[in-house]
Amino acid sequence: MAAAALDSLPPAVEDQLQEAGTCELAIGLLTFENAATVATVTAVIRAGLEKHFAGVPVVLVNVDAGSADATADRVTEAGLTMVRARLEAPVAERAAVPFHGVPGRGAVIRQAWAIARRLRARALVLLEADVTSVTDEWIDRLARPVLDGVADVVVAAHARRRYDGTITNLLLAPLVRALFGRRLHQPLGGPTALSARALELTLEEQPRPSSRESTDLWLAGAAIAEGLNVWEAWLGPRRVESRTRTTDLPGMLAQAVGGVFTLMERLPALWFDAHGSVAVPAVGESSGFLDDGPLVDVGRLVEAFQRGVRDLVPIWESVLAPETLGDVLSLESDDVGRFRFPDEVWARIVYDAALGHHYSVIHRDHLLRALVPLYLGRTAAFILATRDRDAAGDHAVLERVGTAFENEKPYLRDRWR
Amino acid sequence: MSKPPRATDWYKDAIFYEVHVKAFMDSNGDGIGDFGGLTARLDYLQELGVDCLWLLPIYASPLRDDGYDIADFYTLHPAYGTVAEFRTLLEAAHARGLRVIADLVMNHTSDQHPWFQASRAGEGPYADYYVWSSTDQRYQDARIIFVDTEKSNWTWDSRRRAYYWHRFFSHQPDLNYDNPAVRRAMLDVMRFWLDQGLDGFRCDAVPYLIEREGTNGENLPETHTVLKELRAVIDREYGGDRVLLAEANQWPEDVRPYFGNGDEFHMSFHFPLMPRLYLALRLEERLPIVDIFTHTPAIPASCQWGLFLRNHDELTLEMVTNEERAFMYYAYARDAEMKLNLGIRRRLAPLLENDRRRIELLNCLLLTLPGSPIIYYGDEIGMGDNIHLGDRDGVRTPMQWSRERNAGFSTADEERLYLPVIGDAVYGHQAVNVMAQTRTPSSLLNTMRRLIATRRTSAAFGRGSIDFLRPRNPRVLAYLRRYQREVLLIVINLAGSPQPAELDLAEFVGATPVEMLGSTRFPPVREQPYFLSLGPHGFYWFRLERALSADEPYGLETSAI
Repeated sequence: MAAAALDSLPPAVEDQLQEAGTCELAIGLLTFENAATVATVTAVIRAGLEKHFAGVPVVLVNVDAGSADATADRVTEAGLTMVRARLEAPVAERAAVPFHGVPGRGAVIRQAWAIARRLRARALVLLEADVTSVTDEWIDRLARPVLDGVADVVVAAHARRRYDGTITNLLLAPLVRALFGRRLHQPLGGPTALSARALELTLEEQPRPSSRESTDLWLAGAAIAEGLNVWEAWLGPRRVESRTRTTDLPGMLAQAVGGVFTLMERLPALWFDAHGSVAVPAVGESSGFLDDGPLVDVGRLVEAFQRGVRDLVPIWESVLAPETLGDVLSLESDDVGRFRFPDEVWARIVYDAALGHHYSVIHRDHLLRALVPLYLGRTAAFILATRDRDAAGDHAVLERVGTAFENEKPYLRDRWR
Repeated sequence: MSKPPRATDWYKDAIFYEVHVKAFMDSNGDGIGDFGGLTARLDYLQELGVDCLWLLPIYASPLRDDGYDIADFYTLHPAYGTVAEFRTLLEAAHARGLRVIADLVMNHTSDQHPWFQASRAGEGPYADYYVWSSTDQRYQDARIIFVDTEKSNWTWDSRRRAYYWHRFFSHQPDLNYDNPAVRRAMLDVMRFWLDQGLDGFRCDAVPYLIEREGTNGENLPETHTVLKELRAVIDREYGGDRVLLAEANQWPEDVRPYFGNGDEFHMSFHFPLMPRLYLALRLEERLPIVDIFTHTPAIPASCQWGLFLRNHDELTLEMVTNEERAFMYYAYARDAEMKLNLGIRRRLAPLLENDRRRIELLNCLLLTLPGSPIIYYGDEIGMGDNIHLGDRDGVRTPMQWSRERNAGFSTADEERLYLPVIGDAVYGHQAVNVMAQTRTPSSLLNTMRRLIATRRTSAAFGRGSIDFLRPRNPRVLAYLRRYQREVLLIVINLAGSPQPAELDLAEFVGATPVEMLGSTRFPPVREQPYFLSLGPHGFYWFRLERALSADEPYGLETSAI
């Protein structure tokens, strides 16, 4: 397939591109039913551009996933030079919006990439329209390393409350670290920035991502594989005001982890040979957690694990290796205060699940949802291990989780065909 | 010596098994059970599902009170075995995840004890080890406990030419805990056995340690001071996982001080509950049970009640009203030979006329009410008794292992057995024995195993709070046991006829009751009262499962990615 065909855009977008010409910096804004918040975000964009990029040719690229509310009107009111596209996701996806809030997010992102390429932007900063804690600093921190020519992909990392992001910290980050060999703190942090080189990569890389896998992670993995410079930008707190994002925990876990597993299956070349890991350069630095956040009922988490032990063993038997299952069943959970979940066991659980997903040992959605009690148990153990410690203590514990995923990666590789 | 890797408050989840060494298994053919025999039968106890053995007195004794008359605290009764064999028992038990506690009689000794013999001389280091008086008129407000045999709490000693104090039999002089040397000596005794690997003590007759003029000599503040001293030393020296279980046959508000602030006894028996279980069953109404829990004070979080249906003593009726006692005698002991002191000397199965449903129902209560259950040996197979044997021997007969000679308990000649095996047509070892019941899936033994195994699936049984529901039908007892996020619902028909129950479960709308013994999911709770029908003496153990969904958040949902 010719690159030009891959880069084709709807006629309505082509017309706008003709009018917009080219730009130095493109700000991508992904929207879906964000009438209540998008004006806040565009106001910040405007202020940020005036403050940090005065005189730089900028185009706002708005790709909407099929909003039925007044989102489009609110975006227009921003008064920025703009190219907009509407890419309606199938009704089913819009009815059950994924955790990131934009149905068909992969296609929406790729549309934004394509538009930015056509605008010949040196940098594209992608923002989310329901994250109202965005500040002008975010745009600078994401775009600056790209415009300075040192970074090709910049992934956001947010300041968070203590036990926020447990799927990210305990599963996605260590898994991505072991797969790609880069220590990204928040691989699905939301906002990103891409260089022109990275935008070209998205055009040329074969095979290109499908709709089921995580497009965000594909970008990071493909960039690393191609030797591009992947950075991280520490942004401030991330406050989401969304009417559409799911808070169904099993659904979130299944979507996020399923996206990684699918990527692993389709593009093993991206991850198979990576050994060890290195930190990525960062703009800014982590300031620890914001506060302790809401009280998490550890007892309930352990109970959920115990219910899994009681009810899901027949499914786990299909997914987990006998030794892994044996380790899980021997975890002593009667006394909540003493509940422990060894990192090595957790890493093998995730790898067994990836293998089970790869070989389709059971219906994939069942497989992913059967991970939920295990994730809740691992989360309970993490909270129990850290609640009397400080941020440095949390970091040390998470570092051990990441190391365990790296150490156990040969287990995964040996069984992957 | 390896120990089961459990929490220091393991006793809160444990199921205890009360066993007399002499009655369980004879390994050397002398007609008396011993440590070797008990060790050989540990697999049976492990399969039953119990966690801790409580051994009745194992010390040297003239056995005038079945070992509660200790003649030497540091020596084991020779018929039971040596200290080495006792250690082997402890090691074998620990290897199976079982703990072992033993009776310790703190209040008194045998009159054969060297301390008492030395004390009779009236001089020397042991002179004040016991409570002596020149008159028998002191402490007249103290009641006589063994009213059938004793006329006074004082007995004249012709050698010392003084009276000695005894709250129990006259051959059991009370130790003088006002003497610091006695307190130190008792602590040394406890250290000696804990050093062997024992996991704790069931402390006999603890309310009576101290006497004071003008009091009834029970539950005195000075007694609690002594007990707290012992607990503090044991906690400090043994890491906090040894348990002290109090025998204090008192009303709950009087037992409460024995827990202190979690710094005295870990456990105490709930004596008043036991007769009320039988009362409720006989009256076919829940009031006696609900009422006694209404009058049961809260205890420290680290403490636990010990629950029992029967034990080695008579079914004591001290903690009931005169009217209740009369009714209990009418209902359960019409034969005068069945009565002893203020109680009934019968085993569980004969008390319930061998009615399998009622036996299971009482065991259901034992295993689901707040506390740690204590099963008396043999009751798990429905052993009978022999009321024609003296004192309480009728409930202390050999364990019935098989239909073979001597019930498989001993190879000795029948005449040499310490007590005869039960031999009647209904409860005799030909009809009631472990081997037969093991092979019969529907036997009482296998039912007990299932009940115990089910109890072990939830910490709420041992640690949960209790809230009684108030169904309109008074014959139905229903209560919730809550621990952390788990809620269990127990529903019991106390009547011998089928009964309906309408339960107010509005708090749990949407939850699914899952019957725990069969893992059967019942229809979910809705806004209307939850309707159940129960067969005669039937019961349900439900786990109320709430859906794991967004309406029941963990606190992680909004920010998990």
